[in-house]
Amino acid sequence: MTPGRTKGMGPYLLILPAVLLLGIFLVLPYLNIVLMSFRVPGQGTPYGVGFTAGNYVKFFTDSFYILQVVNTLWIGLLTTAICLVVGFPVAWQLARADMKFRGLAYGLVLSPLLVGIVIRSYGWTILLGNNGLINRTLLNIGLIERPLPLMYNALGIVIALVHVFLPFMILPIMAAIQGVDPSLHAAARSLGASKTTAFRRIILPLSLPGIQAGCILVFVLSLSAYVTPSLIGGLRVKTMAVTVVDALIDTFQWPFGSALALCLSVTGAIAVVIFARLTRMKWKAS
Amino acid sequence: MSRKVLTVYCLLVYAFLLAPILVVVGASFNAGSFLTFPPQGLSLRWYVTFFNNEVFMRAIRTSLWVAAVSTVISTLIGTAAALYYVQHAGRGKEAIRIAMLSPLLLPEVLTAISLLFFVYSVGIGTQTMFAMIVGHVLITLPFVFINVSASLETFDPAWDMAARSLGAGRFTRFRRIMLPLIKPGVIGGALFAFIISFDIFTISFMLKGIGTSTLPIQLFDYLRTNFTPEAAAVSTVSIVLTLVVVIVSEKVLGLRIHRF
Repeated sequence: MTPGRTKGMGPYLLILPAVLLLGIFLVLPYLNIVLMSFRVPGQGTPYGVGFTAGNYVKFFTDSFYILQVVNTLWIGLLTTAICLVVGFPVAWQLARADMKFRGLAYGLVLSPLLVGIVIRSYGWTILLGNNGLINRTLLNIGLIERPLPLMYNALGIVIALVHVFLPFMILPIMAAIQGVDPSLHAAARSLGASKTTAFRRIILPLSLPGIQAGCILVFVLSLSAYVTPSLIGGLRVKTMAVTVVDALIDTFQWPFGSALALCLSVTGAIAVVIFARLTRMKWKAS
Repeated sequence: MSRKVLTVYCLLVYAFLLAPILVVVGASFNAGSFLTFPPQGLSLRWYVTFFNNEVFMRAIRTSLWVAAVSTVISTLIGTAAALYYVQHAGRGKEAIRIAMLSPLLLPEVLTAISLLFFVYSVGIGTQTMFAMIVGHVLITLPFVFINVSASLETFDPAWDMAARSLGAGRFTRFRRIMLPLIKPGVIGGALFAFIISFDIFTISFMLKGIGTSTLPIQLFDYLRTNFTPEAAAVSTVSIVLTLVVVIVSEKVLGLRIHRF
């Protein structure tokens, strides 16, 4: 019996401010944006009188936006896959190996989270630009004759996004691997399983929840990323989030902007559900 | 993968994680007028330019102010919610946790846009800092909640019962049992909320009024048109500010901040 649960209204006062805050400034605005997406575009005002499904029709019939969604999904998918490949061994080492400098390594993994996203993206523009560190170095040592196109394209965006979101892949996987009882691995080995088999049959299936969580986090975050694609992609490559924000800030197309933002989010959510279904099936199969 | 290969691989990843941050810090000491490689000598001139740049200095003050106000609010609301969650929540416990973490789980862009429309729909608008601070409170709330509820994990209701049976009143029990337990969580959560708020971009970008740019926004605007190392100096100062908060909290106060 938890003390105080039956003691009148007192305990509810503790949760009340949070409920009010989230209810008024999160739930209501989200309902409002759904409503907004069905409003009639205004002339000189953010929106007009009446309701329409026209904003969605405009989205689904314009190949420009469809192409952009495909492009954004592709960038998100690529970022997620690379984060997984790059992050898994690090998560593994952090969770298992007896390291002298584990604290330092852990700090290094977390360090990008403590530096603002604008600054991190800026760092990548310094590295990837035509006159950037990488191209200058390669030119100076004569490996290339003209700068490699590392920025203002999808490649640059993916490189920077991998950097920005890598900690969100490493941390859940690390937590999952730490949760696996080391004696399971030892038992498999003592029963004659090779290192690879023990890894494939024991560690990998048991760390799947962590992998799944990391992949979903990175994918969702990269779909809605604004700063990095905006600074690295420039005007040439635009992701959906950039288009949405620019459409709202520059042209005040509120109803259409809302429809765009919701379509992007729903597409992302559908992708996540499909991914979760697929990985759960695999998980059971193994 | 053999152990050596794994170590080398991990070192490369750490280098990748640090590279853009180190490059920014390095570029801030560039004496040249543009970001060129190799740098044209070392100099602190861009720091001088930065400290004399009223636009950036105002942005820093705005950022610190917004971060301070929203940290106080989200610490109060988040701590109270965590106390309820750990001590009183019954069946709806998991729902409360998900609701409290929802600002982190929802795409920040969508939250920012929804809030923007909402404050205009109800007539608050973005002329005042209200909308921006609400946005910052929303985003930082989960971090306070995570830290405080984690610090309460070890809480045993029997302690409270014991104190009550010994005649301690509600306020005394809170002060003598609960407060010492949650103190590290509250301070840790507040510090992390402050750091997060200081770096928030999308929410601030959508909800800023005229002349209320925070440092990340000012930096972003500057980077779209300028290429001098001044931006690197601004970034470095911002990184150092964050580092000071982290080092003070972890080394001096001995806190372990829960980031997830």
